[in-house]
Amino acid sequence: MQSANMLLKKLLRTSVLPFAARHGMKKNLFPLSRTLSLSHCLKQDNSCKPSEKLDLDAWKKVMKSGLQEEVSETVPEPQELSALAAARETLEMWRLAGKLVPENISEEQLKMFMECPSKSAKKKYLKYLHLKELHKKIDKKKMEEKREKKLEAQEQTSKTDETKKSPFLYLWSSTMDKAYNWRAAQSMIFGQPLVFDMSYEKEMSIREVSNTVKQLVLSESSNRRSADPFHIHFCNLKDDSLYHKEFLKHYREAWDKLLITVTDQCYTEVFPKDKLVYLTADSPKVMKTFDHDKIYIVGSMVDKSIKTGVSLAQAKRLGLETAALPLDKYLLWNRGAKNLTLDQMMHILLTLKDTADWKKALEFVPKRKYSGFVNKSVNELKKSLDLINTLKFGKRQEEVQKKFAKSYPKK
Amino acid sequence: VQPPEKPLQAEEWNRLRENFKSAEIFEEVMLNSMIRCKTPIDVAKSLLTHVAECNGDIAYRTLVKYLALCVQQGQVSEILDMYDILKGRFKILESGAYSLLIRGLSNSDQWRMALPILEEAKQIMIPSRTSYESCIKAASRHQETKLAFELYREMLAKGVVPTLDVLQSFFDFSRGMKGAELQEELFGILLYLRENQIYPHKTFMRSIKLWFESIPGGNWRGHLTSIKDSGQCPVCNHQLEDSDLTEEEYNNLSERIIRDVIHGADTFRKTSPQEFEAFQTFVEKRLPFDIVIDGLNVSHIKPKKMQCENLFDAVNSLAKENVRLLVLGRKHMLMNSANWKREIMKEMQNKAHFFFAENISEDDPFLLYATLRSGKHCKFVTRDFLRDHKACLSNTLTRHLFRKWQRGHQIVVSPSVEGRHLNFLPAFRYDCVVQTTGDTWHIPYKDVFEEKYSFQVPRKWLCIQQKL
Repeated sequence: MQSANMLLKKLLRTSVLPFAARHGMKKNLFPLSRTLSLSHCLKQDNSCKPSEKLDLDAWKKVMKSGLQEEVSETVPEPQELSALAAARETLEMWRLAGKLVPENISEEQLKMFMECPSKSAKKKYLKYLHLKELHKKIDKKKMEEKREKKLEAQEQTSKTDETKKSPFLYLWSSTMDKAYNWRAAQSMIFGQPLVFDMSYEKEMSIREVSNTVKQLVLSESSNRRSADPFHIHFCNLKDDSLYHKEFLKHYREAWDKLLITVTDQCYTEVFPKDKLVYLTADSPKVMKTFDHDKIYIVGSMVDKSIKTGVSLAQAKRLGLETAALPLDKYLLWNRGAKNLTLDQMMHILLTLKDTADWKKALEFVPKRKYSGFVNKSVNELKKSLDLINTLKFGKRQEEVQKKFAKSYPKK
Repeated sequence: VQPPEKPLQAEEWNRLRENFKSAEIFEEVMLNSMIRCKTPIDVAKSLLTHVAECNGDIAYRTLVKYLALCVQQGQVSEILDMYDILKGRFKILESGAYSLLIRGLSNSDQWRMALPILEEAKQIMIPSRTSYESCIKAASRHQETKLAFELYREMLAKGVVPTLDVLQSFFDFSRGMKGAELQEELFGILLYLRENQIYPHKTFMRSIKLWFESIPGGNWRGHLTSIKDSGQCPVCNHQLEDSDLTEEEYNNLSERIIRDVIHGADTFRKTSPQEFEAFQTFVEKRLPFDIVIDGLNVSHIKPKKMQCENLFDAVNSLAKENVRLLVLGRKHMLMNSANWKREIMKEMQNKAHFFFAENISEDDPFLLYATLRSGKHCKFVTRDFLRDHKACLSNTLTRHLFRKWQRGHQIVVSPSVEGRHLNFLPAFRYDCVVQTTGDTWHIPYKDVFEEKYSFQVPRKWLCIQQKL
């Protein structure tokens, strides 16, 4: 009610002000246009002519008089506030104070908000909701604009109604889908397997799981669109797990029609152990070439808090070979963690499979993370490294050894 | 924007607003700059009047900005007025307004008004520590020590960490006051410093000293000093506590290290069960050690030297008669390479026991385990501050135990200035923490206010003794 009032007043103001400004009107015209809602203001204005002394506390009267209206309005409301209502009220106050708070919040979100353990956690959650709301609004606006443009365009084309002659029917997207599915089906028989390890649910927060699933959906779609797709395996995926629920949210009915293999078995049960390679940024081994006979495993995990060594521990436990992408070898790393998102990994692996060109594949590493490619060939680099080493130890190395032999003779 | 110097008429405000690029936030930007320039509140009032006349209402955040201006200039009646207005308008306020009101009122004669507001703030959220600070300071300024201590205890119970400023104010305001109860309370604060391993800064230390010396009939005398390496206080010849843990604490710590640091959520993260078991049997067979060395850490001390050479130097200077050394390393050290010469490694293995972990395992947890397992006399050598391992421990009490143990058992190596040999900074023979024997107090203090590293230990002390 209160906010509605304020909105009304604001509307009044914005419609009056520019008008008055444009026409160079003086103040005396000004309050007249608002007589309906603000009679007390009018009185004060009349009593205070420009030449007179300003009544500095006039605003207090306004604030206090507004109060009486409020009171009469709020009387019928129940006195006792439930915890939820109290939280809602706190939110409202935060919004009035200009903090980043969503305008609308659902009961469920409000409960999540109350369960946040600390004030900063609460603030972060609200900011997240606020930004989400904002993006939604912007998207909606863009959609509407698009629709309008489309309608306009349609009108124009309907005026110049003229069917173009073409040997093909206009059926692009569904035909493409069929073609993609055909390829994916082929990959399920002949394709190279690529495993996503879905055993990290308990390492992640709910938000991280939903981010993981989003990335997996992106990966799956880019795989489907590629010329020679992988045969994707989701291993260790239990029914009714959080992963599963999120997948259903994204795919709905299509989940059962996806041309991938989903199993609750571990990859070690599905594939021979000696063919498996676990890809993890923590691995001490660096991948040199893409091997078409190996089965690569990618851990389906988003770790915002950078838990090092989680997937390496998993590989160690199962006794699997591990590998990391040769990021440092090809890129001048700038900033950011070396772990990449799942869809980036997918792009890189697909490109490697098709072209075996590291430079092309590593184009998919986000640009902000590196400042450029290593230009020199590996040989040249090795030479300069050797040079540095000889400068560092060089002649001294032998000297040191001699000295050692002298001062600590072998027993 | 530059705020005007005198209250303006509505049309003058209008003109200003028109010249401003985004009119919606004009009031806020203007009030912000008024706070920055400490403009008299009359100017702000004229702005509010103008806003009220235009809109018939003033937004909450504008009011809060104005409140901040009033608080800044100590306009008490204005603050009280604001409270009435806000209370009339809104059922509850948010924390920003509450803390402004509390801060504004507690600095005035109306400080008692701040207390009900603090109560009100508690309804929606735990008040900030600065709110508590204002109220406590106000209460002790007006000799209401009982109230002040009540608030202090409430603050601790709520898990709000008091600022050093509040603690200092207790000592400042109690100066010259009598009463056994008060004395106990202040001793309690000193023990709080001890338990949480907090070191007061120089001015805080001075407040403590002055309070002690002002206790009527207490005959306390304070001296600034630095403690000898032996742990003896040069002023009163008192021997300071050592950092030895009690049997129970020691067992507790070893257990926690194994559980939280080595195993953690997953033993495979830092080592593997097989490896840890192999290490345990290795250690049990050769116990006890006197010094455990983090081989890789020590080998990087002088970057210009070969790594095995650095380690060799360290082992040689630590190896004496009947000293049992354990060096922890990784398997790659055994591969003959530019940095690790096989002959030198062989040579070293005659002087010390060696354990080589897998290349992808972490060696620090092994270091902690071997040292703790060897017993209280055993020390360890590394330059690492072990902060990441401390962070793995699950509760603050164990972390404090770990710090205490670390202070007493870590030998830090550094290259000497001329670079010829290595310097060993021995472990402390005494514990660097606030301590008392009843008729003496020893309080370590920091020279500068901002020394934030938990591993840095002050070398300066305040010695207080009671002459009976």
